[in-house]
Amino acid sequence: MKREKPQEAFAEKPSRKVVPEARQLRKQAGDWLKQRRADAGLSQVDLAARLGLKYYTFISQVENGFSRVPTETMAAWATELGLEPAAFAKHLLLYYEPELHRLLFGAKK
Amino acid sequence: MSVVAFERKRNQVLWSEAELDTIAAALNVSIASGEGRSWETGITEKGDAQLYLLGPLPDQACELCVSRIGGRYILEDGSGQLLFEHQSLALVALHAKAAMRSSWSGLVARVALLWCTIRYMIHDRLEPLLTESEEMLVHLAPQLAAFA
Repeated sequence: MKREKPQEAFAEKPSRKVVPEARQLRKQAGDWLKQRRADAGLSQVDLAARLGLKYYTFISQVENGFSRVPTETMAAWATELGLEPAAFAKHLLLYYEPELHRLLFGAKK
Repeated sequence: MSVVAFERKRNQVLWSEAELDTIAAALNVSIASGEGRSWETGITEKGDAQLYLLGPLPDQACELCVSRIGGRYILEDGSGQLLFEHQSLALVALHAKAAMRSSWSGLVARVALLWCTIRYMIHDRLEPLLTESEEMLVHLAPQLAAFA
């Protein structure tokens, strides 16, 4: 395992390294989710509690762009963030499956 | 369900060298397997340390996540499923190693299953078709030869 990496948040890392597009898009999704959570006035701990999670660490995992919102819990995430589930899922699809989003809903960037 | 909240000690935000050594020792095999796996560190909104083991390129999705909250280590998979939690990082790292092994053996099993399915389909569907067309050719060949 390489050990020279700086221990800082993914968001704060310098952009010199080439980051794969899928990862960049996941990070954008995470930033969007973080903003929606802030709009709803919830902390990561609050959202995790509302989603029935024992720890809030998965919320951070998603917002930092390392994981996706699981499809089976998208409706619950949307509801807790005060968003309409279909619109929420459609917007996340833009980041998680951009080609599928383009095929289903047309080009949008 | 209430979320477990811990008091965080000061100056414990980042991973210590000893902690990284423990995790590295356990996961080195997975990282060194040459599949493009890598790892990243991060922090939560509350400043708790997280370490993400990322899958191969190009997706590099999180396969395992180790978080340290108030001296307790949490092991989750990439979909947020809680796999293990303990105060001993060595124990958590062992579980992470086991989880990586099971995901690798699961992949091997799926590939083997796919191969068997393809073989079965070829044997079951394609071979009768080939045999049939071969028989037809045997019947038609003399007639075609007569025309020629």
